[in-house]
Amino acid sequence: MERRSFLKSFGTAAACAALLPHVASAADEAKKVVGPNEMNYETAVAAITGGKALIPSAKVVISAPEIAENGAVVPVKITVDSPMSDKEYVKAIHVLASKNGNVRCANIYLTPANGEASFGTRIKLGGTQDVVAIAQMSDGTFLTAKQNVKVTIGGCG
Amino acid sequence: MDVSRRDFFHIAAALGIGLPAVASAASTPKRADEVGLKDIYQFNAKGNVTLLHICDMHAHIKPLYWREPSTLISAPNLTGTPGFLCGESFLKHYGMQGKTLDAYFDTFMNFDALAHKFGKMGGIAHMKTLINHVKKERGADNVLLLDSGDTWQGTGLALKTTGEAIVKAQNYLGVDVMVGHWEFTYGKKRVKELIEMLNAKFISQNVVGDDSFADDFEELIFEPYTIMERGGAKIGIIGQSFPFTSTANPKEFTQGWSFGLRLDTLQTYVDKLRKEEKVDCVVVLSHDGFSVDQEVARQVKGIDFILSGHTHDPSPRPTVINGTVIVIAGSHGKYVGRLDIDIQNHRVKGYEYKLIPVAANLIPADPEGVELVNTLYAPHEKEFSEVLGMTKTILYKRDTFHSPFDELINDAIIDTMDSDISFTPGYRWGTTVLGGEAITMDSVYDMTAITYPNVYTFELVGKHIRSLLEDIADNVFNPNPLYQQGGDMSRLGGVTYDIKIGAPSGKRISNIMVKGKPLDDRKVYKVSSWGGNLQNAGTNLRDSLTRPVYDVTANYIRRQKNVNIDGTSNVNILDYDCGCPRKGSKSC
Repeated sequence: MERRSFLKSFGTAAACAALLPHVASAADEAKKVVGPNEMNYETAVAAITGGKALIPSAKVVISAPEIAENGAVVPVKITVDSPMSDKEYVKAIHVLASKNGNVRCANIYLTPANGEASFGTRIKLGGTQDVVAIAQMSDGTFLTAKQNVKVTIGGCG
Repeated sequence: MDVSRRDFFHIAAALGIGLPAVASAASTPKRADEVGLKDIYQFNAKGNVTLLHICDMHAHIKPLYWREPSTLISAPNLTGTPGFLCGESFLKHYGMQGKTLDAYFDTFMNFDALAHKFGKMGGIAHMKTLINHVKKERGADNVLLLDSGDTWQGTGLALKTTGEAIVKAQNYLGVDVMVGHWEFTYGKKRVKELIEMLNAKFISQNVVGDDSFADDFEELIFEPYTIMERGGAKIGIIGQSFPFTSTANPKEFTQGWSFGLRLDTLQTYVDKLRKEEKVDCVVVLSHDGFSVDQEVARQVKGIDFILSGHTHDPSPRPTVINGTVIVIAGSHGKYVGRLDIDIQNHRVKGYEYKLIPVAANLIPADPEGVELVNTLYAPHEKEFSEVLGMTKTILYKRDTFHSPFDELINDAIIDTMDSDISFTPGYRWGTTVLGGEAITMDSVYDMTAITYPNVYTFELVGKHIRSLLEDIADNVFNPNPLYQQGGDMSRLGGVTYDIKIGAPSGKRISNIMVKGKPLDDRKVYKVSSWGGNLQNAGTNLRDSLTRPVYDVTANYIRRQKNVNIDGTSNVNILDYDCGCPRKGSKSC
């Protein structure tokens, strides 16, 4: 395997390996049991928030390319503006790709000891879609931001 | 030639028969034939610094004809705004008169007739005379020459010398700073060699190493900015190379380098130049494209001037957004933009701008430039000057959907490869050959001279062709300029289709017909393409058929001897009535 393609597959694997093993709500169990890797976007969000509303917020900043250079390894960085004190901090950052077969890309759990709420990785995008970041705050709210990333075969001027 | 009454009116104007002249001080809107060198040079000099700006020369060191588009349409929110203006709408927007030298340069209108009268555009020998004139007027120490890129590629000469001849031309012109796009298609190693030969600085804040095993991982590949002192002022210039180089052109040329808009770091450098470097003026030298740079001005604070490029727009007047002044200087060496800046107390107090047409018949050639061009061309003259055939009608490149020269290339490919469908890229560079004139090998190279010239022939199912067309359409017509790549729509041979430009992504294209029959989603078609990545989507690539597009095209023209291109567009636009709609309107 070439160094580069190895890196590619490594990057992809790393991005999607950090899945939460099992988060299921009562509602889920009543219906058909859906594994975390098969959840659609709405179910995946509900599994994170427990049905609480997502609040769009400028405190959550996604840094991702407008047009992916390579859909297999799209660099994404999420930064959440927070003092990260014992009283007010970011408990987790969740990264989702809204239209991937597996919409859940990464769940990162933080403590005030992290100092800043920032996380970067590379994710695989199966096509043009929104990359969504959800920040689970210590006060129990869920802040969110999204960015559309275009995956294209190209075409040029 | 058939001459309608309207044509006669324009020809009469061109030849100076009757009709009063219209004069104004701002530009050169005299009747075209009355314009002289004085009018071209006329400028209300201002302040202490002059930036001369060129972009998208595409290696045209000799004068050429270049016809602007007669169809230039984008998403409904953008159509009719700067960057998507042509013909009558262009003249109206900029308050210009028709039938003037400026109108000849800036629009397609009466092009054939006016071209015979006013001749060719651009050429380094003529540009140099103009540059020397400005340097003499302003004092050479107060002038900078900035190049927004797409300079090293676009002609047979550039290809045969892998860019070197053009670097020599830039050194002769005295380019001070540049950025890049097609430059990168010579590959990383060659780019670095050419930069060594170049007297100018090559800067880019948006090219970063992305190979985690390389020393330059997450490091800048080029200097992000440079600071130059002119006229007693410190001018900070930030480089912005084409953000989508690795998507628009083959990745292998820039493997290990990552591009992108990188507006967050752009903002950081703007702030750094102001606060730490204490510059008096912040300039972004850009290859983002005109409409993208208007969006950049909305999102990044504190830029005084953006000298834009990539989309080849002539813009006689600057566009000002949030206090940032954006200019762009056409393409193919047709223009030199002159921006005089008044800098006082470390601030920009005012400016004056003019897009100066390089009218080769009016601006005398600098003898040194003529000699340089002749020397550079001499080894290739025999090949380039071969007359392949004659064209009955005008052949040009620019148009959102269809152009006669691309139709000729597609005809050549379909004839040679016996394919059902041919894709020719919607690049914005090329050339124009007037009706009744010879098509030389040089003209064919002008349309096709790239470092990955192969025509590939492969199989694609109908359904896939449909989704590819939608994908390409979304790169051209996305309502958000940041998601456009700045090219025109791919040109299709063997196919007709309808398009609703304002429809959502994936739902724009309908009524696709292949050789007169509706596209069958399940049928396998034989497709040829060049200049893109489409072959990667196909199957059963026929390697034995793979040949450079310039050879395919040249051989076809040699066989035809006389070319007579119909010129009717194969694309039916459903939501606009004409090629150059006004803002907010379906019609012109």
